Amino acid sequence: MHEIRIAEDLSTIVVDTAKREKLLNVTKVNICFGKLVQIVPEIFELAFREAVRNTPASNAMLHIEILSVEMRCMKCGSDFHLIDNQYVCKRCMSDEIKIIQGKELFIKSIEGE
Amino acid sequence: MEIKIMKNILDRNQHKAEEVRNLLSSKKLLMVNIISSPGAGKTTLLERTCEVLGPDIRIGVIEGDITTDRDAQRLKKYNIPIVVINTEGGCHLDSHSIFKVLESFDLEKLDVLFVENVGNLICPSQFDLGENFKIAIVSTAEGDDKPGKYPMLFREAEAVVLNKIDLIPYTNFNLTNFRSDLKMINGQVPLFEVSCTKGDGLAGWFDWLNNRIKGIILTREVSQVKNL
Repeated sequence: MHEIRIAEDLSTIVVDTAKREKLLNVTKVNICFGKLVQIVPEIFELAFREAVRNTPASNAMLHIEILSVEMRCMKCGSDFHLIDNQYVCKRCMSDEIKIIQGKELFIKSIEGE
Repeated sequence: MEIKIMKNILDRNQHKAEEVRNLLSSKKLLMVNIISSPGAGKTTLLERTCEVLGPDIRIGVIEGDITTDRDAQRLKKYNIPIVVINTEGGCHLDSHSIFKVLESFDLEKLDVLFVENVGNLICPSQFDLGENFKIAIVSTAEGDDKPGKYPMLFREAEAVVLNKIDLIPYTNFNLTNFRSDLKMINGQVPLFEVSCTKGDGLAGWFDWLNNRIKGIILTREVSQVKNL
């Protein structure tokens, strides 16, 4: 249930930004999650609705983009996409792997008037 | 009107975690974040660790629990400083709660601070506490599929402890599958197969941990000599 805490922190950022930019009504919140963060979008949506209740973002639509897991082999330098939980280089079979995408948890933008 | 933000949602937690990390690094103190499901053996591993390393190394513990101080009570007999954080329903600790309790410790008198996180395999791995590294514990009674189901934790962990190996004959736990799954997810992570109640396999864990703690103590001694 880390969705609740993340939704609360997101709500704080959205409300603070709306206040600073003098938005009376936030219509859309665009966020990005990496697949490894294991957020359940439906639970996150519920938690977000609760967090933004009685704020200028109470009617905001939540747009969630999920990013795939991408990796780089530190031995041969090739980049590859995670398939079947195999964190091993497809080319040289090395396990010296760096995750270059998939752990994101960020807010891209808000829209409003 | 669209307003670009491009910011980590957990920025607040991350900033505080860096503050914790800087503070502990200035004291040359190691912080270890222990993560597992409820009942995997976090407290029992701490008990054994206090018994074996306690005489030579100054240990402190932050006990994270949803409610009760039962784990802390179990560690009381080792006469080490312990602070309990009750999350009252929260499924993980965060860096703010850690920072707040650090003032309860005399950090100059510690070599290692263990944080026993709330029992959970997903949420705690998302929240940086300012630790030096995370340890994942999994017990055989939970099944051999945990690395595959919770890859983030097993990727992030600096060591994995497989506990309750003495119970394998009474479960359908497949050690070969567990080892190969873990190898696929994090081929470089050391695995300690132990029984915290019987003592099997613990020597390897003590050696590994001791080396990490000694490394920190050494950097402290070097900087003290430099300051003379």
